Amino acid sequence: MKQERWPGLIFAGVLLFFYVPMVVVVANSFNASRFGTRWQGFTFDWYAKLFADRGIWDAFVNTLIVGGAASLAAVVLGTLSALCLHRARGFLLRFKFGLVYLPLAVPDILMGISLLLMFVMVRVELGFTTIILAHGCFCTSYVAMVVLARLQDFDFSTMEAARDLGASPVQAGLRVLFPQLAPGIFSGALLAFSLSVDDYVITFFVAGPGATTLPLRVYSMIKHGAPPLINALSTLILAATFLLVGLALRFRNKEHTP
Amino acid sequence: MRIWTVALVLCLALAGMHCRQGTPTANDQSAEQSQPKERPTLNVFIWSDYVDPALVQAFEEKHFCKVNLNFFESNEQLLAKIKAGGAAYDVLYPSGYAVQTLVKEDLLLPLDHAKIPNLANVDRTYSNLIADPAMKFSVPYMVSTTGIGYLAELGDLEPSWAVLGDPKLKGRVTLLNDIREVIGVALKLHGYSLNTTDEAELAKARDTAIAWKRNAARFDSTQYHYGLAGGEFKLVQGYSGDVLQSQKENPEIRFMLPKEGFPLTCDEMAIAKTSRHPDLAHAWINYFHDGGVAARNTMFIKYLCPNTASYEQLPAEVKNNPAVFPPAEALARAEIVRDVGADLAAYTKVWDEIKAAQ
Repeated sequence: MKQERWPGLIFAGVLLFFYVPMVVVVANSFNASRFGTRWQGFTFDWYAKLFADRGIWDAFVNTLIVGGAASLAAVVLGTLSALCLHRARGFLLRFKFGLVYLPLAVPDILMGISLLLMFVMVRVELGFTTIILAHGCFCTSYVAMVVLARLQDFDFSTMEAARDLGASPVQAGLRVLFPQLAPGIFSGALLAFSLSVDDYVITFFVAGPGATTLPLRVYSMIKHGAPPLINALSTLILAATFLLVGLALRFRNKEHTP
Repeated sequence: MRIWTVALVLCLALAGMHCRQGTPTANDQSAEQSQPKERPTLNVFIWSDYVDPALVQAFEEKHFCKVNLNFFESNEQLLAKIKAGGAAYDVLYPSGYAVQTLVKEDLLLPLDHAKIPNLANVDRTYSNLIADPAMKFSVPYMVSTTGIGYLAELGDLEPSWAVLGDPKLKGRVTLLNDIREVIGVALKLHGYSLNTTDEAELAKARDTAIAWKRNAARFDSTQYHYGLAGGEFKLVQGYSGDVLQSQKENPEIRFMLPKEGFPLTCDEMAIAKTSRHPDLAHAWINYFHDGGVAARNTMFIKYLCPNTASYEQLPAEVKNNPAVFPPAEALARAEIVRDVGADLAAYTKVWDEIKAAQ
């Protein structure tokens, strides 16, 4: 009996730890109090203010642009480099594996500073381009690792079979390899996107005028800003995330039960 | 295959955004731009929510330009960004010691006073306190004081920093999480300058600060006024603007400036050497020292813009609030935190000892 109770308790504890903060944020986004320390009545004020705040929405759009562009670049580069790492052998390739793996281990702050120094050295003006390059850079490693894991389960003899049956290399790649890898590529892309949207440290270093992303904006609001606006924004993002996850689950369920 | 449809749609959406990215500012402009001529863009690097957005819009219209507000949240961030170079900011808002560092590193443009006639409006009481009283490189923008915020239930407190160590308030007090503010007020309690470099004075301040730390709930510079508004803390070392904001939430909050003296912070406006539109940057500084504009800005930010022409336009409740407008006798006790140069190491050592003390 004891053994049966513990997992449940731990599960409940973890759930509480994960979701109670979110509930607090959602509740406070409707709290008339600016500081959220007491309940001072229900209000939609923060949402009205949020929609009127041009700065936050500019930052939000910037974040989506950067996330989209960086994950697109990372997916292409990451997938290619995973393919290459998986197939080839030899000393140089182990070295390359190290190079691709390194950004996962290097502290963000080091990466931010070194990228900044490099951009300054080659005289690239800081702004959108530099943020997208920086994000694409670390996201590529993540995508490569995810796709590489997927490749480990892939049986290359199926490719050979396709070739034997008369498929061209391109056809075999597109119709045998790609569909098998796609879930990996897709989850790599999602991972890259969410990492990019989240990133503060690296972005801070490589950002330039006019390219403020949402994390930069939110962080700068700590001193003088209005926290409830952030609560309201978080609530909207949470709602959108749950909606997307829900939709994705529904699609998947349908696919599994034909 | 449904999941592919979703993936495809996502990819298309991303690609769509990617296309937008080529002209990030052009989009914003096309909406506002009625004239075909290109508007110059003024890049301002400022603390968040530190300017009335309506005034920024008015400036954009008046000078036919686009203002790009970019935010930082500590002086160190600003310094890191400007020192590294590569980013073309025009107007900067460093405070106190950060200005001196920027001047030393030759990163600021000397101001052309002929282009800022409104400098005549700057309150000399404050400009004389800053490191650059002639305003060669920087102009005061907003001042705030560090004092004590407390709940009215504590009754009449002795106006002294010593209350931070009051054992009756154990665990209900906070100190700012700032090396110069904490050591500074401990120095003040003993009657020393908060820019001292004398080791004996610093050692005395350290012992006081350690005693305060043992009495306090924590070091906190960002959330303490929420705790004060909610009653979690009863007494805090805090910035006037923060305490004033929390007063709106909880009218039972009081603010006082201790008799031993207190730190005064002055955020300043300066022009980066790399500025592409120095004329527009001068116009920006001039605009914010126009009496009417300064008064509106003071009302919005709840700090004080040291601009004599604006004072008469401020409502009485602002003028009589010591948290906004320190009375002249109190101001005589104010001191600005300055760059102590190489002696900062002595402060860092003391701060480490305070933080490490049990």
